[in-house]
Amino acid sequence: MATDKTKTKSPSKTKTPKRSASAKAAKPQNLAPHKLMLLITVVPRSKAEFYLDLLQQFEVNLQMEVSAFGTATKTFGFLESAMEKQALFTVIREDNVPKALAALEEKFETIRGGKGIACTIPFTSMVGVLAYQFLSNKQ
Amino acid sequence: MKKYEAVFVIVNAGFSDAVMEAAREAGVTGGTVLNARGTANPQAERFFGLTIEPNKDMIMILIDSEIKEKVLHTLYREVGLKTACQGIAFTLPVNDVVGLTPPRKVEQPEETKAAEEATDQAQEEIVLEEIAETIQGE
Repeated sequence: MATDKTKTKSPSKTKTPKRSASAKAAKPQNLAPHKLMLLITVVPRSKAEFYLDLLQQFEVNLQMEVSAFGTATKTFGFLESAMEKQALFTVIREDNVPKALAALEEKFETIRGGKGIACTIPFTSMVGVLAYQFLSNKQ
Repeated sequence: MKKYEAVFVIVNAGFSDAVMEAAREAGVTGGTVLNARGTANPQAERFFGLTIEPNKDMIMILIDSEIKEKVLHTLYREVGLKTACQGIAFTLPVNDVVGLTPPRKVEQPEETKAAEEATDQAQEEIVLEEIAETIQGE
């Protein structure tokens, strides 16, 4: 009896994975619909906190700041403190990048002593669904 | 529209000035120096009989992609693995850059554009008339 049962069940078991495989091939799941970017911003050290808060508005969940130094040539009257920079590494969703860059550009031009540069580098891959959801701020 | 690339150079600590000197030769204007710590494979170190300085300087430079080859070749020659800097350099593609380029012009509505063009034409006509009058007077 037991052998019969297994025999009757086996064809259905073998069929189902075939169907799902073909369905997957026909319509591949987009597991990461929102592309992520690494936004690198280099700003004067005294203004780093301000820029971190500014970028926080664009659904950003992970930011890192690293102390850095600019490499401007020293001229007469040039202050050492002017070389002190902070590099901000922000993981941001691609659709928020234009807004964030526009906000940064505006602040770079208007804030006294707040000039900086920013650029974005695309993520090509990542591992971990939860980590991805955390970084993209989407469930 | 210009394309940019981010050059990352990792050298032994204290050699960032040498990197920037070499980069300036190739047309770079400035960069950002970060302090970092290298983690080499200890077995490989023993096998090759090398001592690797763990403290590193990482230099991040944004460049026009047109001068990428020149910059990389200069860095390889001046601060590459065969020099005291023991540097490695690589580039990453950059999508958008802000802060290097001049500010973008604000798009004006069509009406104001047409009005400005009309005034420019009128001014040109006045100038031409003046020139013609002066020529006739002479």
